[in-house]
Formats: sequence, structure tokens, C-alpha cells
Amino acid sequence: MTIAERPEVELDPADGGASYEELYEQAPCGFLSLSLDGTIVRVNQTLLDWTGHERSALLGASIRTLLAPGSQIFYETRFVPVLGLEGRAREVAFELRRADGSSLHVLTNSDVVGTDDQAQVRMAVFDSTQRHTYERDLVDARRRAEASEARVRVLQDATSVFAGCVTVDDVAEALVQIARDAFAATEASVMLMHESGQLYIAAGTHPLLPFLPANTLERGSEAIRRDEVFLLSSLEEADAFRTDVGQSMRQARIEAISATPIQSEGGLFGVLHCSFGRSREFDAAFLQLNQALARQASQIIARLTLQAELAHQAMHDQLTGLANRTLLQESVDEAIADSGRLGVPLAVLFVDLDGFKAVNDHLGHVIGDSTLTSVAARLRDHVRATDVVGRFGGDEFVVVCPHTDEASAEAVAERLRAEIGRPIGGVPSQYPVTASIGIALWEPSADADSVDPDTLFRVADEAMYRCKNAGKDCVTLVRV
Amino acid sequence: MASTTIGRADVSRRNNVRVSGNSNGRPIVFAHGFGCSQEVWRDVLPHFEERFKVVAFDHVGAGGSDVDAYDRGKYDSLSGYADDLLEILETENLRDVVYVGHSVSSMIGVVAANQDPSRFGSLVLVGPSPRYVNDGDYLGGFEQEDIDDLLDSLDANYLGWSASMAPVIMGNAERPELGETLTTSFCRIDPAIAGQFARVTFLSDNRRDLGAVTVPTLVLQCTDDVIAPLAVGRFVHEHIPGSRFHLLAATGHVPNISGPDELAEAILDYLR
Repeated sequence: MTIAERPEVELDPADGGASYEELYEQAPCGFLSLSLDGTIVRVNQTLLDWTGHERSALLGASIRTLLAPGSQIFYETRFVPVLGLEGRAREVAFELRRADGSSLHVLTNSDVVGTDDQAQVRMAVFDSTQRHTYERDLVDARRRAEASEARVRVLQDATSVFAGCVTVDDVAEALVQIARDAFAATEASVMLMHESGQLYIAAGTHPLLPFLPANTLERGSEAIRRDEVFLLSSLEEADAFRTDVGQSMRQARIEAISATPIQSEGGLFGVLHCSFGRSREFDAAFLQLNQALARQASQIIARLTLQAELAHQAMHDQLTGLANRTLLQESVDEAIADSGRLGVPLAVLFVDLDGFKAVNDHLGHVIGDSTLTSVAARLRDHVRATDVVGRFGGDEFVVVCPHTDEASAEAVAERLRAEIGRPIGGVPSQYPVTASIGIALWEPSADADSVDPDTLFRVADEAMYRCKNAGKDCVTLVRV
Repeated sequence: MASTTIGRADVSRRNNVRVSGNSNGRPIVFAHGFGCSQEVWRDVLPHFEERFKVVAFDHVGAGGSDVDAYDRGKYDSLSGYADDLLEILETENLRDVVYVGHSVSSMIGVVAANQDPSRFGSLVLVGPSPRYVNDGDYLGGFEQEDIDDLLDSLDANYLGWSASMAPVIMGNAERPELGETLTTSFCRIDPAIAGQFARVTFLSDNRRDLGAVTVPTLVLQCTDDVIAPLAVGRFVHEHIPGSRFHLLAATGHVPNISGPDELAEAILDYLR
């Protein structure tokens, strides 16, 4: 306010320079008196000057007519309860509406005075336009900084959490947690693909599934079909997409969803699915963070999948897919330890094919290989899930049967001998393939709760040779 | 469905559940609205304590609740708050409950009662609105921009760090005298949570839930309530089958403060 605009007041030296009325009306802050229900009963000239309202327009009106809508809500939901309970409120920021519709940002102090019907609210109003602009800038800067800081933190946290994952399921669990927190999602789930391409829920909750047709997962994901993030931001969008999807969202109390392919140069592994309890506008920041997380997860899954494949290859025979010698050795070690601990017998079967050399020499390696594959399948199909079938080398196979006594071992061996003796596709009947099977049976005792695995293999091998000498295509059992 | 794995002590701590009054009486549960805590019922509860078992609680993020229990995903819609309410009824083993929900808590009660009506005897909705933002012919009273303004208003007040409006909870270890005054202030709310709760409160749309209410319901409408105007209260009444409607003389949106005696009388009258 310039000097020329100074209000004209008569200063009376006897009254300390001014009348009390003048002090009130021309004070450098606004004054309002309100009844408890918010009706304006008195207002000073300063506030009228600031707002451009006529005194007659404000007296008897509600304080709400002075407040911008956002401030009305704050006034009703926050200011009124606190003032009512505490009797005072300090430094409360409001946005006032001037008569011309423009905004005036103010800070207010309020006290409740008097009691019961006589009670009034007295409010001092300070122009805080400059401070508000400054704070506004601060708030905007802080919001932006917080938002980007939060995104960076999510990605950093994800990196360290993913780094600690040992299995693909660990990654799925971690991604669900991270996505729920990062996007304030009501639920999140990770659907991964089997080799067949079929999706399954690897972690988290997919709240719509119980309300969708049973074959929903079989039908695949819209995100994978479209090869991009699939979004439904409201029930209206969902209805327009597919009525049964909109219906399932209503039943699950979900109003928006996002589905993001878990994908990178390492491959496509599945979908990250987020469900939101309210409709939502998905902005660029959401999409970026969502895709970055899915990408990170897919890179880790690619690495773990490759590791698992390599580990499998290191332990299995390439032709038949059976356990190789390394894995057989480990399996026998474990089986011996279990038998010793439980005090139960253990059988190791040594299976050597009769007539295989003739097949290989006369019919060629291709038929030879398919014969070995057929035999491997028959062995695998006719033992218990707990038994381990391996290829020892050439046309020699080993079956480790934990918790198996003499009678059972012989029964298993007879069954396998009969199975192998059946005709094999592509092998003419003049080249019969049969099996000589030697069994090493070991039973732990008080004196010996362990045995050297090589002893078991050697004894089984020797038993097998007795079969060979006895005319082949038979079973011989030797107790260790 | 409310989880059954969570215990009474956990729920009680999480929601600062306070039980008073007649332990043999019919249970009446009071839920506060946005911007306050259970303290808003201070002058209402004494009217019920002789006859009723009175239960009041704080939503997570308000009053004496456990802020560590806040989960942005769970509380991004009213369903999360409704789950908490159902857990309170379950762990306190309350049946035939009179549920009194103010403002947003009226819709929280509707969502909870629709999910599991078995424990509810009556719903009393004080200043309810199923949707605050106008939508076509429906007049909720506000536009989307107004809600954005409210969020700015929250920021302005929390940044200004005013003694009574400001929240608490930030680390006051170095300034214990500040903690002292703040912990004695009323209606504490956590600023970060208040922002999200404001969005959930004012941007939810629960109109379609009204028709599914099966619990006997009383709608209490205030005079001159700009937050939940008369037309909105009528809308709620018309869409909840068999509900009763009562217009209070109390003005504004918080009759718990502006007319606690009249509010209590109207509820008691309905239950008579």
C-alpha cells in the first residue's frame, strides 16, 4: 500500500492516537465474528476492502460464501471439529473468494469466546498471498522431487531384492510385493507361462479370477496378445472392453486394472497384473515404472531359467534325459544316508541290455539311439516316483530304489525285465533286445549304518554278470 | 471377507479401539469421518453409555491408531477400511450392532454391511454422500478441481505447520516440548495418509452399493451441509431400500460438534 492510499483516519492524541472502532475497522488484518454455525455477524472494513464484498452481502451470510470450494471442505471436515474440540485454531490457511471471483490466500487465527448460545468464533485474517505463492512453489517442487525420488527408490530396492532371488518363484513373490507398494495396488499377481504357453499364478492374488470363466488363464492374457501394457482405468472402460470383465470387477470391488508383459530381450515370461480399488488415471510415470519393473524381473527370470537349464544339463544324460553318473552318485549317497537313518533296506539295480550291440551294428546309430530312448522311457514309467533311474553309460542303466526289501526289489526287477523284453518300434524281431538285471541289496544293521556307494555299484554289476553267464534275460540278487 | 488370522489385541492396537458404557448392553459402534478422529464423538458418547456397550475407534492414520499398519494398497479404497471395521466387530465379538458412521464412514459402513451383514442390526448414516463429485444429472456438490483444491489446502496447512491443524508423528525426538503440545492436540492425522484418505473419501463412487443394503438404515441429514447437501441425503435415502430419513436442525457437516444432543436424541429415537 503506498502512502497515497493510506486510509484517512482522524488520530486523537488523547485516545492513544485512534478510536477503538477505528483500530478495529482499519486494522492491518481482517476481523470476522461468526456464530457457532458459521454465520457472519461482524466483519471489519479491512476484510471488505480486501475481498471487495459489501458489508450487507456478508452480514448474515455463511462463512462458506467467502471460501473457495477446496477450503469449504477443509473448513467443514477439519477446522470445525478441531475448533469445536479445542476452542481455538492457529495459523489455518484458507483460500477466500473475492466478489470478483478471484482468490485471496489468507492465514487465520480463531478463538471460541463465550459459552452456549452466546458463544462466538472470532477470527483474525492475514493476507498471505506472497507466502502462499512461495509455499505453492515449494510444495510443487517437493511433490516433483518426492515423486521422482520414490520412483528411483522403487527401482533400487527392486534391484537389490531381485538380486537375492534364488528361484523364479522368489522373483514372482518379490515383484508382487514391490508392485503393490509402488502403485498402491489393492492386489497384485504375477502370472508366468509354462513351456506350453499356458499361464499360471506364480505369486500374489488375482481377485477377478473367481468371477471369470474357468478357462480364463488358458485363454491367455490381453497384455501378451497386444504385446504391450493393457489398462482398464474405470468400470466404464471395462464394460466397453468385455461385459464379463466389467462384471467380475464389480463383484471383486475392483475399478481399474493394469497388465504388463514380463518381457525383455531375454524372452517373454508372463504378466504382472495389478488391481485397483478405485478408478485411476494411469500417467506416463506409472507406465514407465511399471514397464521398468517388469523388465527388471524378466531379466532376472531369464538368468535363473538359464542357470536352471545348465544345472539340469550338468546332471542329466542328453540322449535319454535320465540322471547321469554324477546325479546317480548323489542319489545313492542320499539313499544310503536315509536308509541308515531310518533302518530300512535299499536296492540298487544294474540293468544291462542283451542284444543291443547287434541292433547298433546292423541297424545303425539312429535305431540304436531310439532303442535306448524307448528303454529309458519304460524304466521311468515302471518305477515309483521316489526311485531314481539313470544311464550309467552305453547300454547300462541303474535304478536306485530306496526303502525296498528283497521281495520288492525282485518284483521291480522282474517287471522291468519284462517291459524291456517287449518289442521295440523300428527293431525287427530277429534282433531281440532283453535285459540282464543285477540287484545289490543292502540293509543297515547295528554294526553298519552305512556302506560305500561304489560297493553297491560293484556288487550290482557283479550280480548282472552272473545273469549274463546264466543265459541273459534274467534277474540276480546279491545281498551286500 | 475379514481375515480371521488377526487377533483382538492386534486389531485393538491398530484401530485404537475404545470400549465403554454398559458391557451387557447392545453394542453401538461409532466411526469418525475424514479430518478427525474418534474424539469427534466426545459429546455424543455419554448419551449412550448407560444403555449401550459403546465402541469407538480410529481409522488407521488418525488419532491414536497404529500408523505403521498403513498399507497404501489396502487403504486406496473404502474396502480396506471396511475390512478393518469387520475385523473390529469380529474380534470384539459384537452382534446386532448399531453402526453409526459419520461422513465417509457412513459409506465404509455400507460397504462392510454389504460384505457381511450378519453382525449388523442397524446402520445410522450421519451426513452420508455416495459420491462427492458431480456426474451428469447427479449433483454431488463438487467438481474434480475442487478436490484438487482441497489437496492443495491440506498441503498449505501441513506445510504451514500450524499448531492445531498440523499433524504429528514426524520425528520430534530433538524437540520433546513440541511433541508434548502436539500429542495433546485434537484429531491428529498423519499428513501423508490424510492426502490419500482425502482422495479415497472424495473421489470414490459408492452409489451402486446403496441398493444392496439389507440392514435397516437411518439417514441423518444436517441443515445447510455443503459437503453432503440435502439432495444427496435424499438420494441416499431413496436408494437404500426401506431406509428412514431424518433432517437435523444442526447445521454444517459435523453435527457431532454442532449439535451432539440432538444427534444422540435422533439416534436413540430411531432405536426405540
